[in-house]
Amino acid sequence: MNIQQNTVSENNFEQCIKCTICTVYCPVAAVNPDYPGPKQAGPDGERLRLKRPDFFDSALKYCMNCKRCEVACPSNVRIGDIIQSARIKYGPKRNTSLRNYVLANTDLVGSLATPFAPIVNTAVALKPVRFMMDKVMAIDHRRIFPKYAHGTFTSWYKKHAAEAQAAFPKQVSYFHGCYVNYNNPQLGKDLIRIMNAAGYGVRLLDKEKCCGVALISNGLYNQAKRQAENNLASIRTAVNGNDMDVIATSSTCTFTIRDEYPHLLSLKNDDVRDRVELATRYLYRLIQSGKVSFKFKEAEPIRVAYHTPCHMEKMGWSYYSIELLRMIPGVEVTVLDSQCCGIAGTYGFKKENYRTSQDVGEPLFRQIEASGADLVATDCETCKWQIEMSTTKRCEHPLTLFASRLV
Amino acid sequence: MKFDTVIIGGGLAGMACGIRIAEAGRSCAIVSQGQSAIHFSSGSFDLLGRMPDGTEVSDPIAGIAELERIVPQHPYAVIGSERCCGYAQRVPELLRTAGIPVSGDCRKNHYRVTPMGKSKATWLTIEGYLTEQEPGKLPFEKVCIVNVEGFLDFYPEFIAEEFRKYGVVCCFETINFPDLEHIRKNPSEMRSANIARVFDHEKNLEALAGKIRKVAPECDAVIVPAIIGINRNDSFEVLKSKVKVPLYLLPTLPPSIPGIRAQQALQHRFRSLGGEYFLGDTVLSADLESGRVKQVYTVNHGNMPFEADNFVLATGSFFSEGLVATPDRVKEPVFGADTVYASSRTEWYTLRFFDKQNYQAFGVKTDSALRVVKEGKSIDNLYCAGAGLPGFHPVQEGCGAGISLLSALYVADQILNSK
Amino acid sequence: MNNTYDVIIIGGGATGAGIARDCSLRGIRALLLERSDIATGATGRNHGLLHSGARYAVTDHESAEECIRENMILRRIAAHCVEETDGLFITLPEDGLDYQALFVESCGKAGIRTEILDPEEAKRLEPSVNPSLIGAVRVPDGAVDPFRLTSSNILDAKAHGAEVRTYTEVTELIREQNRIIGVQAYDHRAKEERKFYAQVVVNAGGIWGHGIAAKAGITVNMLPAKGALLIFGHRVNKMVLNRCRKPADADILVPGDTISLIGTTSSKVPYDQIDNMIITPEEVDILLREGEKLSPQLASTRILRAYAGVRPLVASDDDPSGRTVSRGIVLLDHAQRDGMEGFITITGGKLMTYRLMAEWATDLICKKIGVNEVCRTAEIPLPGSVESEKEVERKMHGKPIAQKRSSIARHGALATEIDSRDSIKNSLVCECEEVSIGEVEYAMKNLSVNNLVDLRRRTRIGMGTCQGELCACRAAGLMGKRSPICAKKAKEDIVSFLNERWKGMAPIAWGDTLRESEYTTWVYESVCGLSDETEKTSMP
Repeated sequence: MNIQQNTVSENNFEQCIKCTICTVYCPVAAVNPDYPGPKQAGPDGERLRLKRPDFFDSALKYCMNCKRCEVACPSNVRIGDIIQSARIKYGPKRNTSLRNYVLANTDLVGSLATPFAPIVNTAVALKPVRFMMDKVMAIDHRRIFPKYAHGTFTSWYKKHAAEAQAAFPKQVSYFHGCYVNYNNPQLGKDLIRIMNAAGYGVRLLDKEKCCGVALISNGLYNQAKRQAENNLASIRTAVNGNDMDVIATSSTCTFTIRDEYPHLLSLKNDDVRDRVELATRYLYRLIQSGKVSFKFKEAEPIRVAYHTPCHMEKMGWSYYSIELLRMIPGVEVTVLDSQCCGIAGTYGFKKENYRTSQDVGEPLFRQIEASGADLVATDCETCKWQIEMSTTKRCEHPLTLFASRLV
Repeated sequence: MKFDTVIIGGGLAGMACGIRIAEAGRSCAIVSQGQSAIHFSSGSFDLLGRMPDGTEVSDPIAGIAELERIVPQHPYAVIGSERCCGYAQRVPELLRTAGIPVSGDCRKNHYRVTPMGKSKATWLTIEGYLTEQEPGKLPFEKVCIVNVEGFLDFYPEFIAEEFRKYGVVCCFETINFPDLEHIRKNPSEMRSANIARVFDHEKNLEALAGKIRKVAPECDAVIVPAIIGINRNDSFEVLKSKVKVPLYLLPTLPPSIPGIRAQQALQHRFRSLGGEYFLGDTVLSADLESGRVKQVYTVNHGNMPFEADNFVLATGSFFSEGLVATPDRVKEPVFGADTVYASSRTEWYTLRFFDKQNYQAFGVKTDSALRVVKEGKSIDNLYCAGAGLPGFHPVQEGCGAGISLLSALYVADQILNSK
Repeated sequence: MNNTYDVIIIGGGATGAGIARDCSLRGIRALLLERSDIATGATGRNHGLLHSGARYAVTDHESAEECIRENMILRRIAAHCVEETDGLFITLPEDGLDYQALFVESCGKAGIRTEILDPEEAKRLEPSVNPSLIGAVRVPDGAVDPFRLTSSNILDAKAHGAEVRTYTEVTELIREQNRIIGVQAYDHRAKEERKFYAQVVVNAGGIWGHGIAAKAGITVNMLPAKGALLIFGHRVNKMVLNRCRKPADADILVPGDTISLIGTTSSKVPYDQIDNMIITPEEVDILLREGEKLSPQLASTRILRAYAGVRPLVASDDDPSGRTVSRGIVLLDHAQRDGMEGFITITGGKLMTYRLMAEWATDLICKKIGVNEVCRTAEIPLPGSVESEKEVERKMHGKPIAQKRSSIARHGALATEIDSRDSIKNSLVCECEEVSIGEVEYAMKNLSVNNLVDLRRRTRIGMGTCQGELCACRAAGLMGKRSPICAKKAKEDIVSFLNERWKGMAPIAWGDTLRESEYTTWVYESVCGLSDETEKTSMP
């Protein structure tokens, strides 16, 4: 007999056997009763929405898309994907507020802000300005904004690095993301330093757009899809045309390109997915293969606590970043319990989510304060903002630390 | 990625095996497809409650010796009763070191009390949970059963119905305060774990204590559902110190707080020993070379396989997809190992739910060293531990936890002795 | 106790409930006796298809006409039990298009609206349809929920003075010379025999009517025909899918509430087996193999359960061999047929024509007892169908959207009677089907619920993906709260509820269904420590 040999179908939600484990690990349901929880919003709700689309509940917007339900699920149900897809499929199509538009368009806002960085940074730090943003835009006044860099990473790269990088015999392509470009060009420079020390030149993609994670979470799906198509085209040129791997420093950008493009935006990326990875994983592999080794300088011992961002947890790749940190002499690494910091990209900036966001992160903040670490390391920029705003510790990317200890 | 041992499956068997191997200083990774069935724990660990014919077992070790004689394919028999006895004596220490305070005796079962008030023979029970030396021999004559208003996974009336059979007088008390009302606004998430988070806050624990103090004068013990202490260890102790009356916990329907805590404790213990724990990843396939597993590939790590000298298949039974049933077969999905099952589907079950169902005894074929058999031959460095083993009925025989723990330690020993 | 009525109706299926309603609307004092719960026989064990009649158009013109007439009536009077999905009769390459012309012509003759669709158009309307189809005809098929339909009839009958006793099994017909004057019945709950008297006793026992008639020494030659069906985990198709060919096995796929179901097989079974329907692996295989031809995605869709019903086919009186079978309505006046006064049998027919059957039977009752009232059941809406869904929704506040819409789907206008005052009443007992504490309490209070299985029929509790794994315990907890006796009974109830669910799951227990069962076993048998106590008494 050859029937029903494989019940794993498009209807992935049917693999749910109502064991309730996901509900234990949802950071939002634990603090916000308006959110139906992953089981109800995901597999249970999907079954009802298939009956009739008007069973869609707008409260699904409270899902932070952290995917911790998926990591916990013993049945491999893509709960987070089901919820986000439902928002795309059944949710309001065209009612994005100005606030959401501004928060989602990190690319546009970044390129407007960086030329005037000192003014913008001062302005958004001022109480009256924050008060006004709170009232007019519903961006919470307690939220501290990340600082913009004066001048973007790409303009620096073109002026000061492009030529030298092209001269290396081995090359990788770098997806820098909005954060490196507008807020922290130094991280990009650190990566270049490390890769150069490994004998690799770092190139930029032909045309890089924001990966689109914020557009997706703010309901701007068409724009997200356009940008994703653009990025995939550039990645294909790098991978297929120039035989270059594509590496990134942001765990969320990496995750979005690898997994959210096919799962939420229905864009096939099988041909290039394996060639897009996190820089720490790429380096770990080079080191393990014995082809590359690094020389570190003597430095003060330092205690570093590693925080696993949600999308890092979902990818399962924190191992690589942690192993790299452990290779640095004088660095003592402790690994914090893997739990959500609460920011979830633009989620925590919204006035209505501020309380949820801080409540979600509270156990993590406590653990960080109690850890006795000198520094927190993490691969996600928005986690960094949240941790720095909500604890007394500084937070850096593992590669920034790595680069700072190179000879 | 290279390890001494890679364990597939992070349930009770996988964790126990990993802890044992990491304790011995070997590098070990556990890959787990999501959280495990420990999340449905009753707060107790069974060793052997009944013989296959249904007779009650009072001395599990003696029962295992008997099993060795009459059911040679039973995993306990395969491991050997003498070894089982040795491992059983090591288990309490393993659990306690991990931070799971258990008590019990492998030579004499005690009884746990279920969320329905029934008595079930068991081996080890976590501190604080209500137990009996004999069914119905309850340590109180008048008891107050406390529940949280609107919590649907705990039933004081059902418990009282059983207790009354033994002459125990039962009264009920319901608690409710603003933080609980807050979570109840959600129609489905008034679950044990979310309630436990409320009681992680000192003021709420104090409010609970206050309620207990109020009912205490009228009874000689108070029962509280297992809804306290999810992110802290001391909740029960703190609560006990705030009241004078004897206090007992009873498990709830899933998710189980003692289970979640046990899972987290085992994970912490494993990690603190240097073990690497990969949660939410699925092993897809393996490279076999001359009768040995060389490396396994997972969903998350794709082109970065897990290499190891030894592998342990601790993927469990059907629930955790260690076994996969199609209409005509039972498969082991990772290695395509040989499986033990009835070929005709009509023999898999009877139509009565509570019968002993044959499917529950299906599993992965192994040799006497619990090495996995594929196409009739043992794979040198691949062992099977836990619920994926064939030849036993975990629920009816009350031996699920025992098989997981003992087979895990047996497999760990084989690995540690292998070189 | 007054135990005398105008009429006693035996059987709480759709027909019996329909007669009770019809009688009470005409001012006749009726008592309905049912040995189990309502809708437990063939009524609750079929497709739930709101036939347009198209299926019978070619082979049975009379049935087709009855169906389309009743179809239109039910849309009006039972709106909350009906989903107007429309249906497609699809032609697959293996069938050939010849049948389609005859089919459309026959439908036309029976007054059934048809529309021939281009295959591409059919695929657009119904994306789940087999894409290799070569033709499709749209007809006014739909879905009807037999439990709601029966329950609404009962509610209305009671509101108009009828008395309904479930779990009361007729053991004897009380006879005085050549007249049936009443019945003796065993009350399974009170555990006692009772006698009831009436001028007319109506046998509406479906297939069991054979045995009831036999108690009066009368032979009604029934031929039990078993039909097996499978329920899929979610709604696969939006429209009813049929094969456009001569009716055969497993050629109807009906979307019903949250699920889809495929059926049926057809096989004769011995009369002594009608209470013991076991689904064989072969039947499951046929249903899947044929089902996949209607909608290929069934091959990878989770199956929730399998079940079978027994059709009450009646052999024609003039053919004792039983080869000539009527699928139409059979109304027997035993006074005329067998010289037995005060006793009539209504049988044959189908769920679709329950109302018409009730009308015929009630007309005969009226004639016998001299009541001169006309039937109004085709005009007066059933309780729950008096207002549109939108109107009902406007009146309901405070419930989350999925819960609100689910309860309206189940109870129509009566959903407003569900208590949703506070968060406790809105807490979900059944998470798959969105059944709240308020709804469970409403059903227990108003819809004659005696146990968990009854509750399932009134609310869909335990009908979702997990088949009662989470909700059995919770619902039992609510029932057990009322008194210590209730607690004991409720606990036993969990066992029989799980047994009942498992009976439907076992024939298809592989893949995720088997995983689910293993988990359910852990929860109830291991964690809760429940066991089946009935085993010890009933098994030698």
